[in-house]
Amino acid sequence: MRIGPLALTAPAAAGLLVFFIAPLVAFGVYSFLTGSLYEVKAPLTLENYKEVFETDANRTLARNSLVVGLLAAAFSVLIALPIAYWLRYAAGRWRGLVLFLIVASFLASYLVRIYAWRSMLGRNGAINRGLESIGLIDEPLDFLLYNRFAVTVALVHIYLPYVVLVLYAGLAPLQPSYLETAQDLGAGRLQRWRRVVLPLVAAPAMSAFLFVFVLSAADYVTPLLLGGTNGVMLGVQVQVAFIGTGDFAYGAAIAFAMLAAFLVLYGLIALALRLMKLDRVRFAA
Amino acid sequence: MRYEEWMRRHTSRRLFLQRAGLITLTVGAGPTLLAACGDDDDDDTAETAAQGPAKAPAASGRVDFLSWEGYDIPDPLKSWKTQNDVTVKATYIGNHDEIQTKLKAGGAGAGYDIITYYQGYKPLYQELDILEPLDDQKLPNLKNLFPYFASKEGNFWVDADGTRTGVPWTWGSIGITIDGRRVKSMPTSWFDLLEPQFKGKVAIPDDPTGAWALAAHISGFDPSETSKDDGEKVFDLLSQVAAQSTGISPSFGDATTKMTAGDADVCWQGWAAMNEFAAAEGVDSFETQVPKEGSFSFCDAYALPSGADNADTALAWMNESLDPKVNADAAVILVGGVTVADAVPQLPKNIASLYEYDKLDELLDRSPFYNNPPLESDEFVTFEEVQKRWQEIKAEAGA
Repeated sequence: MRIGPLALTAPAAAGLLVFFIAPLVAFGVYSFLTGSLYEVKAPLTLENYKEVFETDANRTLARNSLVVGLLAAAFSVLIALPIAYWLRYAAGRWRGLVLFLIVASFLASYLVRIYAWRSMLGRNGAINRGLESIGLIDEPLDFLLYNRFAVTVALVHIYLPYVVLVLYAGLAPLQPSYLETAQDLGAGRLQRWRRVVLPLVAAPAMSAFLFVFVLSAADYVTPLLLGGTNGVMLGVQVQVAFIGTGDFAYGAAIAFAMLAAFLVLYGLIALALRLMKLDRVRFAA
Repeated sequence: MRYEEWMRRHTSRRLFLQRAGLITLTVGAGPTLLAACGDDDDDDTAETAAQGPAKAPAASGRVDFLSWEGYDIPDPLKSWKTQNDVTVKATYIGNHDEIQTKLKAGGAGAGYDIITYYQGYKPLYQELDILEPLDDQKLPNLKNLFPYFASKEGNFWVDADGTRTGVPWTWGSIGITIDGRRVKSMPTSWFDLLEPQFKGKVAIPDDPTGAWALAAHISGFDPSETSKDDGEKVFDLLSQVAAQSTGISPSFGDATTKMTAGDADVCWQGWAAMNEFAAAEGVDSFETQVPKEGSFSFCDAYALPSGADNADTALAWMNESLDPKVNADAAVILVGGVTVADAVPQLPKNIASLYEYDKLDELLDRSPFYNNPPLESDEFVTFEEVQKRWQEIKAEAGA
């Protein structure tokens, strides 16, 4: 008996429906209800959204989220792109080992990596001690830790391996012969990058960018541990609403406001790719 | 058993306790006690006498535990668990608020048999209908409690009508913690932490209600009854404290790590246990003291969540926690205070010296137990306002 595509996708679709769509719809409804100490109840209201947008702290934290998310995503892609390119075209016999090391880095705990950065960036951390030992500084540098810089560095470190793999997969179908052909036609190194590689990796690069942006901007653990007072982000407000004050409706409204912001960003990036005619570039069969 | 049913069955005993006191009950209800109770309570007394001396219920089976890691006191309870064939399935929290969140999200009981609550959460937990009344007849070791912890003071563990909702078993007081490697003399006032020398050097645990309680106390207000106007002064003080910090630590352990790494020198809302946490990291220069303004104290009580399906074993556990040796061993592990008088002689010197047990009343006058702010009030700063303003203060500190 032949199993149709519908039957094959049904278990995954059911899982998605139960564990993703249904909770999402439930929280969507919550966000329009009235919160009351670990409960939600009628009547329907827009007050939660009004409070989300009118609270000064939310605006400050949203700005932090936006800045950190954009920086983490941009640096992740900028650093990962040459690595992926090198892996695809120049790594040779090192390719397998480096790919293994990238995958192996996922085994390191998220929290361990965050605390590792603390021991690197702190007043008595490796960087300050190193700079002191070679006489470059007399006093430890305080700006390395407990700010947006530290959060961005840690997030780039955490998400970089994912982005390298995404871009490596994006470059995989781009045969070396494409670049050789471009070279034969007179394209220089920069032109080959701009006119051959970039159009073909633009879409996966933007996917990776969005992936890192969404996860970074919504993170609340890294900012708590490394962010100090100016690195706290909006995700903390969702946690406080759900766990601290038991105001599920308000927490859901913040979460949906963030979701809406992410969708807007996705739309803007998709539009930019379309305007630059990079959204339809496909590898030849 | 539903609350109403329990009330019917135990009201007379509670009234009896209210008049006679727990300690008298445990040494037996004699003629003096009968006289004290008066004529109206003859029936009550007779019922209590018929119940006989308090006795812990038989323990067996699995107990589902929900609280902080370490509060299941695995080692002190080891022999009791072995003797009674009790197993524990523990769910640890990272934040006190996770308890009510899990219980409310999971429905009645949510599968848990024993929880703990910090005394300030009592009104919230009652409002949420989380706490099941406890039967003192099944807790004979209540007789071991220090008089303060056996009393109805503050209604933290026993309601005004005598209904017991918790068994206080560990406590502590908040103070200033310093790292002596960099701070040569202990600040004598909380306000010293606002001095320029501590700019960027103050560690602050992310505990909104604790931070509020401390700031209100040293500003001369009761944190549970601070007017909206006075509340602004307290929030202003918290803003000044937050501005002295490089960041708010998600836990006391994290605040300790921050200090041992040299990224902070003093801790607002410090805790004697941090001295031991630091020692475990190889740093023995931590010191904690309560400054001249005093501070606030915290006491955690075991409690039975509504819908618990192994209530008898949970009660037996609570009773065992008041055994002097178990109570002392738990204090050693948690670097905390004991609630049982006979546990004090069993404490090692470093733990016994944390708190002056011979001057307990005096200590608790300077660093009282408080309730959290009210859930709703037009007059006083509320629990929700504290939580939200704390987030604003954190955000503003870095803006």
